[in-house]
Amino acid sequence: MRIWALLLGIAATALSVCLRTADGLTMTVHKVECVYEEVEYDGDMVYGNFVVQDYEIFWGSDHPGIELVVTGPQGNKVHSSTSKEAEKFEFRAPRRGLYKFCFHNPALAPEDLTFYIHVGHIPGIQDLAQDENLKPVNVKIAQLAEALEAVSAEIRYMQNRDKRHRSTNESTQRRLIAYTVAESVMLLGASIGQVYLIQQLFSKRIGYNRV
Amino acid sequence: MEVKVVLCEILLPLLLLCLHAWRFVDGVQFEVSSRTTKCVAEEIQSDVLVVGDYKIVSSSEENLRITIKVTSPYGKQLHHQENVASGQFAFTSKESGNFMACFWLQNAPPNANVNLALDWKTGVGAKDWASIAKKDKLEGMELELRKLEEAVESIHHEMLYLRDREAEMRDLNEVTNSRVAWFGIMSLLVCLGVAGWQLWHLKSFFERKKLL
Repeated sequence: MRIWALLLGIAATALSVCLRTADGLTMTVHKVECVYEEVEYDGDMVYGNFVVQDYEIFWGSDHPGIELVVTGPQGNKVHSSTSKEAEKFEFRAPRRGLYKFCFHNPALAPEDLTFYIHVGHIPGIQDLAQDENLKPVNVKIAQLAEALEAVSAEIRYMQNRDKRHRSTNESTQRRLIAYTVAESVMLLGASIGQVYLIQQLFSKRIGYNRV
Repeated sequence: MEVKVVLCEILLPLLLLCLHAWRFVDGVQFEVSSRTTKCVAEEIQSDVLVVGDYKIVSSSEENLRITIKVTSPYGKQLHHQENVASGQFAFTSKESGNFMACFWLQNAPPNANVNLALDWKTGVGAKDWASIAKKDKLEGMELELRKLEEAVESIHHEMLYLRDREAEMRDLNEVTNSRVAWFGIMSLLVCLGVAGWQLWHLKSFFERKKLL
């Protein structure tokens, strides 16, 4: 009987305090891309971030940004935010169920988007009262796990932003070299052309005079 | 006593299996339509264990099957399955970069779509904690604390990686900055040199033509 209780205790602890999986992925958004996440308990905290990795934009002010709209399982809009570059979001899910995260891209060019969504659950006071194998220390461990997950989310956010800034900087360097070389070549070409054109003009006039 | 022991031996694996099956519901879901390929990617460093579970959660028609292809950043195919409804793959990344998993519908009528659940775990989340717990004889709280310890270590690694990337970017920016200065001066010198050449050439030309 004791082994039975111990095994149930292990299972219950593991079930309630598990490190939840978090999802961080890169997708290409053409017009609308939707991602679904399952929320297991009422009142769970859902947080995440998304970073727009734009490689195709020529002028920085061209793009209207990517809009995120989160819809609940009953179809109600839970959260929405727009960002040109990067955005963090956080909300408490009122009901359990399947939540839909839709990214809208109003521009014509497809965009690469890196997003990260995490659903965190910390056993509350009702769970403590209902399950006798759940001790307050399990709640503390769950809070610690969630805090570490939040730190991990921040690091991922910074890594994705760093990737985006890196691509901007590399593009700056490429543009610098390309435009300098093109400018020098065009300047040389234009000035040599000017000189020969003037020479031709003056040669023609003298030829005209002789005739 | 014996019956109880046997029950425990059967039930514990069953419980662990249920645990695994319950966790399988986790993971992001997205739609795959019949005419498009859906690709998801993640930037992963080298020497990281990656485990993926995918399955069709709901589909608009019967008997829809998908094809999956997982590729490494250099294009090497790591996993390829055709016409399946679910499956899993696992690999250890040999190089760091963008690892991509692409899904598309095979032999499907137009306007068909499926909801695909992909559970993509890397690093700490990908480890088989059930077998590690059995091997090291860890119980409930000790197992959770061991998981947290590994999570802290992976956070530390990621911070170091971020620091290295930031140092690289700083170097890149300083190179760009000095190049802007040099190219500006060079452009100015080219401009002045070309203007001087123009003047000299035209002067000698007009003197030759006896116009000056």
